[in-house]
Amino acid sequence: MEKLTVDAEGKIIIPPEVIQKRGLQPGDELTLVESAEGLLVYDGGIDAKTLAWWNRLDDTQRLLAEDDARHYESLSEQERDALWKQEADSVEIEAESDELDFPTN
Amino acid sequence: MIRRVYERRVRLALGKPPTLLQAEAANSYAYVASIANRLYITEQTANILKLRTPNFAAPLLAETRPLKKARYLRRWARRLTDFAFSSEDAIVLAYGSFGLDVTSKSIGVDAIVTTDVRLAEHYERRHAEIRNRFSDMVVNLPEAYAVVRLPQVLTTAAILSIV
Repeated sequence: MEKLTVDAEGKIIIPPEVIQKRGLQPGDELTLVESAEGLLVYDGGIDAKTLAWWNRLDDTQRLLAEDDARHYESLSEQERDALWKQEADSVEIEAESDELDFPTN
Repeated sequence: MIRRVYERRVRLALGKPPTLLQAEAANSYAYVASIANRLYITEQTANILKLRTPNFAAPLLAETRPLKKARYLRRWARRLTDFAFSSEDAIVLAYGSFGLDVTSKSIGVDAIVTTDVRLAEHYERRHAEIRNRFSDMVVNLPEAYAVVRLPQVLTTAAILSIV
């Protein structure tokens, strides 16, 4: 973690070693995240995992992914919520029959 | 968190920029995957991913292990609802202590990573009471369960702040 300084004009100065380490170039965009923990600055490019996933897809898979993505994006937020809440587990005693003993045999 | 990682990939497939939450989740996921021994998801999330298109879901399923529910998971979840957690959140938190990795025969996780800032804040705010209630419950369980612990609950923003 690095400390950043806000100058008199409100600009944030990023230490040169961080700029070098992250390979930042003039004109690169960074994302400023306002969160409960404070302000975060990070480079909003594609993360390694997402990039690796995308690079593994061949042309046909990318076309299929695009089709699927278009369908997913056409869903309303409520429909997406419902999709990710399918098969929600109950906390009730009656549902406990699927619990396993630890240590497992 | 997995939902937002999934959605970040959906955005990429469409050539659209991610939302802040999606970018935050994807960056955190990449970082945690690079440092953690194992990544776990709940059985519910695994089942949902299995219903999604393989192009998006299969890599996430391959990189994670689904936790099974150990005995007493729901009992602990019910206790957690007494602290004003929703049933859904209580189940996720209970997985943190009573989620069972049947492959390694281990129970619980070190940390739960979530995009839900309110959940993390609420857990932190009530942590002392939760810890007492947890101890009271665990002391009455069979000896094998003496190893169970409370997990940390970290937001994706908190993860990025330590990168």
